[in-house]
Amino acid sequence: MLVTWKYRPRDTFIQRLDPRTRFIVLLCTIFALTIPEIWDYRFMVPLFLFSLTQFLLARIEWKDIRRTLFFVFILVFFIIGLNGLLSGRGGPSAALDPNSPIIYQALIPGTDWGITITISKLWFAMTQVLRILAMALPAMALPYTLDPNIYGTAFKRMGASDKVAFTMDLALRFLPTFSHDLTITVDAQRARGYEVEKLKGGVVEKIRKLAPLIIPVTMQSTVTGEEVIDAMDLRAFNTAPRTWLKELHYAPRDYFMIGLGVAIFLACCVLKWGFGIGGFFVPDFFTKFILG
Amino acid sequence: MNNNSTWEFGTRQVVYGAIGAALYGALSWFTNFLAIPAAGNISFRPAVAVLIFFGVAYGPIVGLLAGFIGNTIGDQASGYGFYWNWSLGNGLMGMVPGLIMASITDFKAQSQIIKAVGWGVLGIIVGMLFASLTEMFTSGIDMATAITGYFVPTLISNTINVAILLPILMIAFAGMAARRGR
Repeated sequence: MLVTWKYRPRDTFIQRLDPRTRFIVLLCTIFALTIPEIWDYRFMVPLFLFSLTQFLLARIEWKDIRRTLFFVFILVFFIIGLNGLLSGRGGPSAALDPNSPIIYQALIPGTDWGITITISKLWFAMTQVLRILAMALPAMALPYTLDPNIYGTAFKRMGASDKVAFTMDLALRFLPTFSHDLTITVDAQRARGYEVEKLKGGVVEKIRKLAPLIIPVTMQSTVTGEEVIDAMDLRAFNTAPRTWLKELHYAPRDYFMIGLGVAIFLACCVLKWGFGIGGFFVPDFFTKFILG
Repeated sequence: MNNNSTWEFGTRQVVYGAIGAALYGALSWFTNFLAIPAAGNISFRPAVAVLIFFGVAYGPIVGLLAGFIGNTIGDQASGYGFYWNWSLGNGLMGMVPGLIMASITDFKAQSQIIKAVGWGVLGIIVGMLFASLTEMFTSGIDMATAITGYFVPTLISNTINVAILLPILMIAFAGMAARRGR
């Protein structure tokens, strides 16, 4: 049910990169798209290909990632894509251009309420999907290709305090455990006749019916917490600055990737703010293609 | 039940911040299929009640860490990517109810449960308003879309989740704490 990601050492270019490099490149990609508010497909397609290349270079086995990809694609295409297509929300206001040609319309008789799909909404939905995938693909590969033992060191070396770095480290370590606990709880409730796939009733009833899953897992986790606190206190955590077992060193390939990421970010900022290129627009070829 | 000062950041806060984040991330991922129709990229998150519970039970630092890291983990596992403003908004949503940690002494007392739910709703307002309004800068949306497309749907859905699940979590926690004696 839940994806419990499995890290596995692979001799790939992506795994040979310093973890800090991967976080920095990921942040550069995200910031390149979000800070200058890039919605232009001429930027989006190369950035998507850049992210896709990183994802493919990670060489994650299909059997490992197929379930994740299945759920992610359902979320991206049906939730984000359909949301963009039907509402036009979640992006620039230009996507709601009232002058854009209407492709399909179904209104409640006598009102302005209903579904109106325009060319700009359709293009926006496609752009939105591409944009999300460009940001998500490198992030999706992280849990499969980054040793969980290195997260804390990486955050620490990126400037986080010992306590914040350790919180992140612990959270990522706990995640598979709690996912596993949730799966066991779901199975145990199923054995008692609980059907998670058939949550019937209104919103309130659906939430109430989730309680038998959420409460046991949460309560069990608080018990686990006390045991972990005892173990950490016994090891004198938080009494002095920590040393970290793992050492991280940049290699030439890391400098190359960081340089590339920073260059992409700067290029997006300069082109958008300096030359006004990168905003949302519907290209003529798409309008002509749809309208025939 | 709570012996720590509100803003203490020690071993307890590190561990429960991590646990809260992992739970929030895992449960958010689990319930991401419950999307809010016609709202901008927002899913229905019963896990919000867990986040606010961690804030109320363990303080504002735990709530902030659990919300920020948990939302980042949940979004990454779901493939959404990383949206700093929503992660920070979720952090604020966990932090604000944490401000009353010291005054919650009996987790099964009706008046304290009502107080926790009230502060939880305040946390939702602060956190989601921050995230929704910053969307104007990150996505280029207008104020009306930020309020009607993001803030109002998240406020309503999160408030319903908290009103139903937070009292159950608090009563269950009171029973468990009484059994364990800590």
